[in-house]
Amino acid sequence: MSTEALVDQIRAIAEQYPERESAIMPALHIAQERYGWLPPEALCEVADALELTPAYCKAVASFYDMYHLRPTGRHLVEVCTNVACALVGAQQVVEAFEAELGLRAGETTEDGEVTLRAVECAGGCGYAPVVVVDHRYREPVRPENVPAIVEGLRRAP
Amino acid sequence: MSTPELVTVTIDDRAVQVPKGTGLVETALAAGVEIPVFCYEPRLGPAVGACRMCLVEVEGMPKLQAGCTLTAQDGMTVRTAQTSAKAADGQNATLEFLLVNHPLDCPVCDKGGECPLQDLTFRYGPGRTRMTFPKLTFDKPIPISPTIALDRERCILCYRCTRFSEGVSEDGELVTVNRGAQSMIATFEDEPYRGRFSGNVIELCPVGALTSTQYRFLARPWEIQNVPSVCGLCPVGCNIDVTTREGKVKRVLSRNHPEVDEGWLCDKGRFAFSHPHARDRITEPLRRVRRRGFEELSWDDAVDEAERMLRAAGTRIVTALSGSETIEQAYALGKLLRQGLGAHAAVLPEETSTALDALRLPLSAIRDAELVVVVGDQPVEERAPVVDLWLRAARRRGAEIVTIGPTGSIQTPPGSAPQVCRDLAAENNELGRRLRGGQRSIVIWSGPDGRGGEHIAALAHALGLADVAGSGAFYLPDTPNGRGVADAWSAVADGEPADPEPIALLIVSGDEAAANPGVRALAERAEMVLAITMFQGLAVGWADLVLPGTSYLERDGTYMNLEGRVQRLRRTVIPPAPDELAWLAKLAGRFGVELSPHPSLVFEDVSARLFGGLAFADIAATAALPTRAKAAPRPPLPEPEPQLGGDGLRLLRYRSLFSGAAVERVAELQFQRPAREVEISPEDAAAKGIASGNEVAVRHNGTSVALRATLNRRLAPGVVRIADEHAGDLGARVEVGRA
Ligand code: SF4
Ligand code: SF4
Ligand code: FES
Ligand code: FES
Repeated sequence: MSTEALVDQIRAIAEQYPERESAIMPALHIAQERYGWLPPEALCEVADALELTPAYCKAVASFYDMYHLRPTGRHLVEVCTNVACALVGAQQVVEAFEAELGLRAGETTEDGEVTLRAVECAGGCGYAPVVVVDHRYREPVRPENVPAIVEGLRRAP
Repeated sequence: MSTPELVTVTIDDRAVQVPKGTGLVETALAAGVEIPVFCYEPRLGPAVGACRMCLVEVEGMPKLQAGCTLTAQDGMTVRTAQTSAKAADGQNATLEFLLVNHPLDCPVCDKGGECPLQDLTFRYGPGRTRMTFPKLTFDKPIPISPTIALDRERCILCYRCTRFSEGVSEDGELVTVNRGAQSMIATFEDEPYRGRFSGNVIELCPVGALTSTQYRFLARPWEIQNVPSVCGLCPVGCNIDVTTREGKVKRVLSRNHPEVDEGWLCDKGRFAFSHPHARDRITEPLRRVRRRGFEELSWDDAVDEAERMLRAAGTRIVTALSGSETIEQAYALGKLLRQGLGAHAAVLPEETSTALDALRLPLSAIRDAELVVVVGDQPVEERAPVVDLWLRAARRRGAEIVTIGPTGSIQTPPGSAPQVCRDLAAENNELGRRLRGGQRSIVIWSGPDGRGGEHIAALAHALGLADVAGSGAFYLPDTPNGRGVADAWSAVADGEPADPEPIALLIVSGDEAAANPGVRALAERAEMVLAITMFQGLAVGWADLVLPGTSYLERDGTYMNLEGRVQRLRRTVIPPAPDELAWLAKLAGRFGVELSPHPSLVFEDVSARLFGGLAFADIAATAALPTRAKAAPRPPLPEPEPQLGGDGLRLLRYRSLFSGAAVERVAELQFQRPAREVEISPEDAAAKGIASGNEVAVRHNGTSVALRATLNRRLAPGVVRIADEHAGDLGARVEVGRA
């Protein structure tokens, strides 16, 4: 998608809101789909399309967990560590992933395959602890399930 | 106006009556009780309740409440930490939390001694921390612009600074990134905070997180003096406190005049104060010597020399005024030249129109307006920045702001403002009809056309705004005291100014006049030139005698701002040379003219003629605005002028807020100077195959200027816009093409 097409697409969405700036969330999603993450250029393009400042876009994008301000690997593993999940052992799940992947939460494996992140409530509290693998929910996940999940990712095409 | 309903509130057992809806913090104050606050600042809009310092117990409410978010209701009973153990507990916990990650580095913090966090921690809170874990650390301090440093460790996340950026100056450049404990104040990537009003966040910050790079480590509150004065860099005349230490100005702070500035300053007014220490400051009189350049001479010799020049020239003198002289200086010059020598010819900085006196309003009336129409070629923020803040406040309150000009919400070609005034005055004009029918309609002229004051007054009179208390008109002059200078000059004598030919002596009073190309052209024609300026760069090379000028920070006297308000300027530091009034008085004596070197006495003279005998001492610290004049003249609407013909694009030059002799001499403000670029409308850019960032050549009559193109969506097609300092000799019609 060209920059112009991106800007046009965002403006079309903004039309549907009474206030242009209300379209910031979908706009950031569109930009993230294009780049895989939200580099400064993407934030500038969103700002340009919605006539906001890049700083404002960065403020919103950095508040929410679903926007990536750093490049992610080919696969994305997000472990919810908010209250409900934390109470039933989310921290141990994070640690299991860290051990299995050989990295710390927030990092990407050296081969660029897998990014691990600890995130806020994923909205699946009833099935805690929740792990989201490439945007699909696995619930509940125990530390002993982790090797199989990682193995699956390694074998995925 | 209806009187608001009074309600009774009891705070710490003291009953107090206030208008319903008064903030609880103010209500408590009226009862003599302090509710301590950090984030609460009514000028930033609705309270956000971010810091919880203001916790109080309210009868009937089970949990402690953030007092700053409440308003006075009848029968309310409130207990602060003074009388409620529960509130005191809550407040202690709040303060302990606020300090959990705070570095407590007061001994090396510029805010120390004038820091709300330090003060309130001293007076409230547990006095002891239980925090034994390592604190969050950040790189400190980091510059968020050349003028402002940010220390994230000290930040208590009260959001005052970001609320200012979002909701007052509306620049949207300073934001909070991340979430929760990771939240931090930031600009976008490494971009500097460029807003025109950025410095206000330094004063708003209740801790030492945002500090001034210019003031860093320079002084402690107990070794400084704050001198109340007014800013002399634009016609708004914001009230300021000038911090001095050991005879030098160290910083400029706002001093809230609720009708003029509401406690905000622009960055030029706040940060340009170091110009008196510029390397090319003139401190001794200078005389041009054939083939040898310049030599210094003593003050006695300089006054003799000036006397000789004046005697030789007689009446064949032209005086070019800057509009930055005090009223007293201009009057003194007038007295010497007009009364003493009969030399009446002057180049005035501004054409003034007393017609505006019948339409007078405080600037704060803009905030309360329903409809404001701004006409003219220049954006308000370049000419009178704080007026822009009043306009934004009005828009937030629901007013409609219509700007008509080359970058306006209604686009018109440059120079069409007189025509716009005529159109708006016409019976069938819809916008004009609404202005006419409104209770709070304001019209503003924002452009360099000298007769704007008269034109906008004519429009306002035609619309009947003089008869409506909340309606009125403003003219935004070019210079800080142009109006006062012109009035003072004309009040001295009645003599008719005949243009002398040839000019025997040109007197150039002040830096703006010295920098004015029109004045420079006159100098070519004059036999002798006497210049009064602060800086070598301005006059050395073409003046025969240069007398050191002083800055508005170094003078006593008065300025008249764009509302027509006469305000006191105070000498905050001693200038390195005698001030203008001192030697003018001496010189006047040689011509038998009685002139006092004391501004207060000169003012008495002026005041008898201009201000109904208002006494110098009676000009209040926050000066009053005279009432509307009843018998002001009613000028006719402007005559139609022929429109400029020719091909090519219309060139719109503008003078950036960040320009002028003072700004040019302040290192920290260089990043704000206008870039070497030409603004072009997207339509014209597309037609010429130009993209933003392209190098282009702007041509006119054989001259060509190389600039970078930048698209401006708000610019009218057919117009290009270039800052004065980059426009060179380009004329009114230009061609633009890829370089
Ligand atoms: S930098 Fe200062 S004003 Fe801004 S949020 Fe932090 S403490 Fe408040
Ligand atoms: S708006 Fe004008 S008067 Fe106010 S601080 Fe800025 S330059 Fe000075
Ligand atoms: S807390 Fe984990 S999904 Fe809600
Ligand atoms: S002052 Fe009330 S919450 Fe900050």
